[in-house]
Amino acid sequence: MKHAFLGAAFAAALAVPAFAQDYTIMAPANPGGGWDGTARAMQEVLQAEGIAPSVEVINVPGAGGTVGLAQFVADSAGDPTKLIVGGYVMVGAILTNASPVTLADVTPIARLTGDTQAIVVPAASDIQTLGDLVEKLKADPGAVSWAGGSAGGTDHITVGLLAKAAGVDPTKINYVAFSGGGEAMAAILGNQVTAGVSSVGEFAEQVKAGTMRLLAVSSAERMPGIDAPTIKEAGFDVVVQNWRMIAAAPGLSDEQKAKVAADIEKLNASAGWTSMLETKGWANTYLAGEAFDTQLAADIATTETVLRDIGLVK
Amino acid sequence: MTKGIVPERRPRGAAFVIAAGLAGLAALLLWDAAGLKQDGGYAGVGPADVPRMIAYVLLILSVGTVVAGIKGDLPRPPRQAPAPVLWILGGLGAQLALLHVLGFALTGAILFGCTARGFGQKPLWRGLLIGLVLALVIYGLFDRLLRLNLPGGPLEQLIFGG
Amino acid sequence: MDSFSLLMQGLETALQPMILLYALVGVVLGTAVGVLPGIGPALTVALLLPVTYGLDPAGSLIMFAGIYYGGMYGGSTTSILLNTPGESASIVTAIEGNQMARQGRGGPALATAAIGSFVAGLIATLLLAFLAPQVVKLALSLGPREYFALMVLAFVTVSATFGDSTLRGLTSLFIGLALACVGIDGLTGAARLTFGVPQLMDGIETTTLAVALFAIGEALGVAAMTGPADRLHRVTGRVSMTAQDWKRSWKAWLRGTFIGFPIGSMPAGGADVASFLSYAAERKLTKHPEEFGHGAIEGVAGPEAANNAAAAGTLVPLLTLGLPTTATAAIMLAGFQQFGLQPGPLLFITNAELVWGLIASLLIANVMLVVLNLPLIGLWIKLLSIPRPWLYGGILLFATLGTIGVNPSPIELGMLILFGLMGYGMRLYGYPVAPVVVGLILGPMAEQQLRRALSIAQGDWLTLVSTPVSAILLTVSALFVVVPLVLRLMGRGKVLAAVAGDAD
Repeated sequence: MKHAFLGAAFAAALAVPAFAQDYTIMAPANPGGGWDGTARAMQEVLQAEGIAPSVEVINVPGAGGTVGLAQFVADSAGDPTKLIVGGYVMVGAILTNASPVTLADVTPIARLTGDTQAIVVPAASDIQTLGDLVEKLKADPGAVSWAGGSAGGTDHITVGLLAKAAGVDPTKINYVAFSGGGEAMAAILGNQVTAGVSSVGEFAEQVKAGTMRLLAVSSAERMPGIDAPTIKEAGFDVVVQNWRMIAAAPGLSDEQKAKVAADIEKLNASAGWTSMLETKGWANTYLAGEAFDTQLAADIATTETVLRDIGLVK
Repeated sequence: MTKGIVPERRPRGAAFVIAAGLAGLAALLLWDAAGLKQDGGYAGVGPADVPRMIAYVLLILSVGTVVAGIKGDLPRPPRQAPAPVLWILGGLGAQLALLHVLGFALTGAILFGCTARGFGQKPLWRGLLIGLVLALVIYGLFDRLLRLNLPGGPLEQLIFGG
Repeated sequence: MDSFSLLMQGLETALQPMILLYALVGVVLGTAVGVLPGIGPALTVALLLPVTYGLDPAGSLIMFAGIYYGGMYGGSTTSILLNTPGESASIVTAIEGNQMARQGRGGPALATAAIGSFVAGLIATLLLAFLAPQVVKLALSLGPREYFALMVLAFVTVSATFGDSTLRGLTSLFIGLALACVGIDGLTGAARLTFGVPQLMDGIETTTLAVALFAIGEALGVAAMTGPADRLHRVTGRVSMTAQDWKRSWKAWLRGTFIGFPIGSMPAGGADVASFLSYAAERKLTKHPEEFGHGAIEGVAGPEAANNAAAAGTLVPLLTLGLPTTATAAIMLAGFQQFGLQPGPLLFITNAELVWGLIASLLIANVMLVVLNLPLIGLWIKLLSIPRPWLYGGILLFATLGTIGVNPSPIELGMLILFGLMGYGMRLYGYPVAPVVVGLILGPMAEQQLRRALSIAQGDWLTLVSTPVSAILLTVSALFVVVPLVLRLMGRGKVLAAVAGDAD
């Protein structure tokens, strides 16, 4: 612990003043969700690796993270010790809820992890491939019911993008929003719906056990160890990543921002973080600096278009 | 209320206030529902339908309350002392207003002291003092030990450090 | 037989002194945090999970089990003694439990809650161990239409919490339903009644409403009383249960268990729904209907057993399918991952030892809970002999602590005051407060399940009665409404006839 601390301090000395600062990470969601998990994982590794002496996590749940975001912007401006976890879901939620506070009001630091979306059908279904499913969707969009998370969330966006790519009117999709992953999964396993959308990780064990059939994944390339084509390969130009990021407070000086970015970079480079991601089953999709800013802007633009197409944003 | 007084079965003014409140709540629901996009999708039941239904039932209940009020069918509350209620509400209000300035322990002490005062405990400072000790113990236990995030103020900084 | 030997092996591990100590620590911590109003089991487990990180898997697992059961149980203590439910599943406990406490029977109320939780936890954990695969198959065959039918049944039976006036009871319920509309509509994302306030987007927090209506409303009501102080909170009689109490409790425990376990294991069930249904069942089946609303022990025994059985039931989909169906279960899932355990349909096969270790831990934690809590009852009761100014000062401090700890925004605290005033007003004019909270909990569930079912069936209302389960549940609900109505009409006919006869 002590030498790790010294090492970290030494590394930090290269760019910024050499001191380790405490952090308070806001998880804009209830305990138990992905953002809360990310925040608590960061808390553990930041402390264990000696990057920060003391890290606190606070939960401000509500409305796809927009409640927490609004509070974060209001309370933390100019405070370099305050961080907030966010992600792709927030991008959609800001738009559908017409949130007055957006990601432009915080200082995004880096993308940390990401989930790939998966499209599945119950094992008992006669649908074998994504092509079969899209055929059904074209024939009668209402007859294909989709189970997934909250309206306007990543799952909904994935279905909307797929419909659009397949030439089906996105406003006609029969998307059934469930609260919480467990309930949606139960509906798929119980053969209550035609198909389901969620993260690959959430379905992986079910697919392995043969209770669900994995039709396609939303990544750009095939995923190692997952026996399914990408949506792109199946002929529809859709790539979705449900990423999670860390952002700092608005109104930071360049030095303050650099210090936070350096700490997060150290976190990402640490052995503790690598093994944490492994146990949690999260992919490391670390992206920082200008590359991340560009990516973020592109994601916001695509999301806005598709939410308009689905009819969730006027 | 203008007619002859029948003891115990007198029309009750409070019933009309309650009925008006219910009707107001119903009106609020209907007004809000009118502003929603009626988008039932494949279900045919949209986000505005259930609030509307609830509003209609509230209107019926409002009429029922008026009828009950005319019949005098509402329990008569015992005499109420307003001072204790104001003390407690004052304590809660002070906590709401000052929480982020003074921190958990000091506002907790004010709430505790005001409540005790509302229940007839004098002098006020004793309640405040006991409340302060209790709130500090709670703060130490939950914020410091269990890391439940409670807003700290100058006093917490002084005692427990940054 | 194989599972039996695995369970024995698990128990053997769990019975080492060191492991037992961890179980004790877990139960103490879980109860201590769970006892706070507004801090439910989910947050309790989330807060305390890091405590278990440093231990070896066996120790960590058992401490975790202790925290879980302790957190589930803790809420009932404040419900009974202070009329301040700690979480949604112990709201109905407050109805009868607090009445008992007011009559100086807080001891037996706490005892029946503790022993009922133990009995239910024991039976439900054993059911979990041996029947989980079968139960989950059943639970999965239920979809939105069956859940809607179940919610309708819950609504109909909720009238049991109405008190003596149907008009005022229904009014309370519909106020709750109206409050339930606040927030983002789960199916379309439309914001209802939020008036542009972001904190309202997620709706009104159940615990905020419950703490405000019960604890703050109660404090205001008691403080404003001008007459001579009633002998509220005076402890009279014995602390332990009488033979009569036992006789009236044991059936309620068993019924609560068998209501709670299946409902807890349903992906859209939940401990709160289970406790409502159990309360309604006890009220319908009791031989002492006149005591209900005035401290009937069955009304504490049943729901407390039901919510603990439901807590064990939640583990059925979690362990057999990897489905976290409650926030608490989702946090447990995160907890399991520290042992490299990936809950899923293959869990029982690939991680048999750990699963049976967990089940054994749950059994031990359950025993530990009752061993710890029965002697503590005497101490809890003493709490009530604290002079009222200090007692209520403490209640309000703890009541706001829950809200501040979860979400310290002025709007949340403002709602606490507003609903507290509403609770005070309702108390004055004889409106029961429990149905408001029940409406807030059940309203969104019923609405969302209805709209999901209709969406899947593309607007065909007949889907609601198209399966045997949903048809039966709806028929039973209809009977609950129609039969008393018919009986009353017939009764009124007789009375009218009698009156007419007298006039003749």
